[in-house]
Amino acid sequence: MADGEANPDSVQAVQYLDDLLNKTLHLHITDGRMFVGQLKCTDNERNIILAMTHEYRQPSQADVKLAAERHEKGGLSGNVKVGMRKRFLGLVVVPGQYIEKVESCWTTSITSQI
Amino acid sequence: MPEDDLADEASHLTIDGDNPNGDDIGFAAKRLAHEARKTLSSGGGSRGIRDVTQEFAAAAKLLQPGQLVKDEYFTLFEAVGALEIMDPKMDSGYVPPGDTLEPDFDVCKGLPAEQVLWIMDELLRLTAVWHDGYPLSQTIFTSLHVDRLLSPDNRPPYHLFYGDTALLVMTTEQRLVHIVLRAYCIALVKSCALVLHTIQSQNFYEEEDFVTHLFGRELLPSTGANDAVKLIDEAVKFLDGADVDKVMRTALLERLQFARTYISLLVSDSADWNTLAAMGRSAETHKLAQPILEAFSDKVQRQLATSTPPRPMIIISWDEALERWKAICADIVEADRLTCFDVCQSPHALHRAIWAFAYREPQPNTFARAYLQTILFASEQITEGMAFFDLMLTDMRDLVLAGDVLVDPHSFLVEIPSDPRHKCSRIVETFMDKAFDEYMNLYRMVCQNRCRIRRTFTQSVAIFDSLETEAMRTDAELDGITPGIVLAGEDGPGNVTLTPLTSWVKYYKLQTMAWTIQLGFETDIYLPHELSMMYWYLMVFARRERKLLEHIERFLAARQKTFVSSRDARQDDEAAASQEWLAVLHKQADFTALLSSALWQVSELLMTLCILQPAKRDYAQEQLLYDVRMKSYLGIAHDPIPTLEEYKSATQSDRSIEDTCNNINGTIADAKSCLAYMKKTTPEQGKYIGTGEQWKREIKQLETTCVAVAVQTSQLRRVADKHGKLLGAPRDQSLKGAVEVSIPPAGSRYHDWWVVPQIREKKT
Repeated sequence: MADGEANPDSVQAVQYLDDLLNKTLHLHITDGRMFVGQLKCTDNERNIILAMTHEYRQPSQADVKLAAERHEKGGLSGNVKVGMRKRFLGLVVVPGQYIEKVESCWTTSITSQI
Repeated sequence: MPEDDLADEASHLTIDGDNPNGDDIGFAAKRLAHEARKTLSSGGGSRGIRDVTQEFAAAAKLLQPGQLVKDEYFTLFEAVGALEIMDPKMDSGYVPPGDTLEPDFDVCKGLPAEQVLWIMDELLRLTAVWHDGYPLSQTIFTSLHVDRLLSPDNRPPYHLFYGDTALLVMTTEQRLVHIVLRAYCIALVKSCALVLHTIQSQNFYEEEDFVTHLFGRELLPSTGANDAVKLIDEAVKFLDGADVDKVMRTALLERLQFARTYISLLVSDSADWNTLAAMGRSAETHKLAQPILEAFSDKVQRQLATSTPPRPMIIISWDEALERWKAICADIVEADRLTCFDVCQSPHALHRAIWAFAYREPQPNTFARAYLQTILFASEQITEGMAFFDLMLTDMRDLVLAGDVLVDPHSFLVEIPSDPRHKCSRIVETFMDKAFDEYMNLYRMVCQNRCRIRRTFTQSVAIFDSLETEAMRTDAELDGITPGIVLAGEDGPGNVTLTPLTSWVKYYKLQTMAWTIQLGFETDIYLPHELSMMYWYLMVFARRERKLLEHIERFLAARQKTFVSSRDARQDDEAAASQEWLAVLHKQADFTALLSSALWQVSELLMTLCILQPAKRDYAQEQLLYDVRMKSYLGIAHDPIPTLEEYKSATQSDRSIEDTCNNINGTIADAKSCLAYMKKTTPEQGKYIGTGEQWKREIKQLETTCVAVAVQTSQLRRVADKHGKLLGAPRDQSLKGAVEVSIPPAGSRYHDWWVVPQIREKKT
């Protein structure tokens, strides 16, 4: 567990980060890729370790073309859906300097509606 | 809250922490529950994604440098295995600036025959490398054509062009790619699937022997091996009528034929791998191929699911690749020969055959060893008419109970419950059930890599020892029903019985103990100064084995006397064969005891004379070092091994160097006469049917080893004489500085199981 500091702001910061541990994060990095995994560890340089990570890439021109062709062939209407390219990596560490965006998944509890 | 219930349930997945492993399991369960709780907390309802970039950055900045916020169960030890993103050495998805994500090569474009030929040969080369154990990501998957066929975006029937943009009117060059090359690639990929299936159905060690990882790809699941063969046939038909140069056509047809034969061999049970080996003629036409390096790239790794850093493509020469292919075919053919019907009739002959296979040069690869295991273990029997049960029973019969009604197959068919044969058979069956796994391991484990053979046998020793307890109990029970022959004790007063099952288990226990030491020499796990002790223990184990064999032989002789001459000759034949074989085993045990005695004396002499010394270790304690080295044998309850003290008191450091050298020479002479005996043994007597060549070769290697020991001994004697130390007690002498000794590594010994120190006089 992380060591707390006497400084109340810092204690709150640690608490905030602690609450995010084991939650699923989406990290967008500078070269356009996205990493989705469970947060395991971070430090003051925002280096992030994710577990069970999948890497996502924007589809390429060729991917879009192929999806459009198949869409047409299949006689489907509406917009063409092109999936992002995805592959499994496992345990990764993303250096803070490359992170452009951090997103967390939120859910609302059913019982809060009761 | 349902999700909380789930988390609660997960936390109840604990196991009682009573057993020694309970701590690990309890810990893992706790960790699982903790992570589940955290991930699932307040689940259900709607979900979405929230941008927390600013908050996260702000929070992180408030941490101290070096301060970590981490999950309590996440260890930094695990963190070391994390791939660092954007580091080109670790991140397989990193695209250097100026580079493109995908290689810039159109797999659909037509290619001239020379280039298609090169690609086919390159795939052949890469398949050979894959057989050696390199992952697909560094071998076959680097082919861009294969990559396209296997792409997750591709659909059956797996064409090189996506969508259904079929190229209706194709040029010859396009056809060479889409018909010929495609068929070839599909056949090779399906062959990989078949090889993987064989390997994964048997025992092997991932990463050590072979890498089975598919990197998130599937190997054309909708296409079967037969479909692949059909595609090849269509390609052949196309080539026959195509507008292609005649020489090129022959060359391409050869490659297609190779792929077709290869996959056909993998599918059928009884096929001749020699036909594949004969296709090494392809080597000549390889010169005509024109390289097209762009058709292969390690950039494919950017899209493969991999938890490892990027790895280079593997390079071996074309000739080396052909050698590998020839070796694979030769190994398969030999595996078939070594497990032929005749060999399988005798458990010991089969055993020898498997050892002979393991010791082929070069060592058979993972697929060949899996193939051998498939022949032996895939069905319910070793060979036609020889079930595993029969094999084990024959083993017992050959070794300890030849001619005895106890292990006569007919005894097991008796159904009358009051018949002693029926009662005994059930008891014997129960015992065999218990011994079955470890007994079959004697065959299966020899099909693993060398280090693993030693390691698994080390564990077998303990299992055989506990089986011995079971055997003793069973023998007593059997003796109560059908009392066995009683003879006067061999040493000391009182009578003894054969205790057949105990003797049988003991034999394999002692044999396994000896093998672990021999394999230890081969895999270089002993330091030079440990040779003396290990040879002494090998001598002890071999002597015990010899004594056990004498015990068995005595009772066999006594049993033979009880045979009624009017009964069928089968009993007599069985007993006679067993007698001859036991004599051979006796000589072998004798030889091992003698040679290890000689080498013990040599090594000990070198130590006493301070020529061979352990490194100075101030904190090392003799007993602790001994305990660590002999760990696997210390737990033996029946006939425990001699202690460190007993080993030390066996020392010969009182004897003069001259006397020791004379003794060594005498021992070697005796050892040589054992070899002379074994040389005259027929395959039936020695139960080495099918491995005659290996038998002769090994005897020759052992003869050379004996000579080498004598030579080194005389070397030592000469130097000692020169320094006038021949007659005094070695304990008071030292030849340090006058002699240097080197230990030949495995691979450069006359016989890898015997380390003969090389003694050289130091020129001052």
